[in-house]
Amino acid sequence: MSLVNYATREITCKIVYYGPGRSGKTTNLHYIYGQVPDERKGKMVSLATQTDRTLFFDFLPLDLGTISGFTTKFQLYTVPGQVYYQTTRKLVLQGADGVVFVADSQARQLDENIESFQDLHANLAEQGIDARAVPLVIQYNKQDLPRDLVLTPAELNDALNFRGVPEFGADALHGPGVFETLRSISELVLKRLSTPVR
Amino acid sequence: MSITTVETWVEPPLRKFVEEARTVLALLLHPSGQVVAQFGFVRAVDVMSACALAAAIHASAGELGKQLEGKAFRGLHHPGRERQLYLAEAATQRGNFIFLTVFDQESSLGLVRLYFDEFCKNLAAAAPAEARRAEPVIEESFEGELNRNLAALFGRG
Repeated sequence: MSLVNYATREITCKIVYYGPGRSGKTTNLHYIYGQVPDERKGKMVSLATQTDRTLFFDFLPLDLGTISGFTTKFQLYTVPGQVYYQTTRKLVLQGADGVVFVADSQARQLDENIESFQDLHANLAEQGIDARAVPLVIQYNKQDLPRDLVLTPAELNDALNFRGVPEFGADALHGPGVFETLRSISELVLKRLSTPVR
Repeated sequence: MSITTVETWVEPPLRKFVEEARTVLALLLHPSGQVVAQFGFVRAVDVMSACALAAAIHASAGELGKQLEGKAFRGLHHPGRERQLYLAEAATQRGNFIFLTVFDQESSLGLVRLYFDEFCKNLAAAAPAEARRAEPVIEESFEGELNRNLAALFGRG
């Protein structure tokens, strides 16, 4: 749940970047880290292996500024994508207010994308969370690769986006799509705070 | 002594703990890694990093405990050369919280453990029942502000 501090008028939200190994989750955070001025971000924490694969998570705290009089902070996390880090993914996913699913657009990675997407739904269900109720955005990363190697966003939508959630093509290494993805998930997460709870 | 809290009921037990156990840093957080109260940190963003790491250590130690002993480990002590760290869980009717504290030669593990037990009791006694938010927190038309803030953050303003 988003944490609301009425005394200091602060909102803190947890966003998790999920997806298969090497799809570009950490690259998204690195790009964001590189763009944001120092006074608006904390240290980026990466618990990675010697070969820079995410071992536990990457973490980047961001100060989004004031929204409706509340200082709004986002905590961005990535999960390790490799199949055998299942336990770690569950731990990082705990308490997420929103999820960005980073898919690898390469045609040969389609099965890995589908498997990871199913894994996301299973892990949410295991935590008693209705996956349909969680703010979700899909990013189709690596759209900059040669056309014959990648699937188009429309083709990837057919395979993954059965909920019709916001989706963005991206090249996280160079930036296109990263901002739009973050903007979209931020909007979905904050929208929940702008509606009464029944 | 500067203590900041997200929920005011946390402050008296935390203040008592810090004064009596004489620790230099203290953090109370949700298992998801979100801060509930802190003492001794300078920048808000450093608090967030510490929370993320503390939640990760606690979660992984818990899983390891389950695999080794069929039961999650609930407490952890790391002795450093000058500073030591104690990480443990505190249960309340508002749910379980993770507590991280750092201490130096002014205190000791025994003292920290002693006052942590008392802190857990005080925290449990102070915890009110879960309050459900009914009203919206932010205005319905927040998108304009969000877009302006994000654009400024990314140097597109």
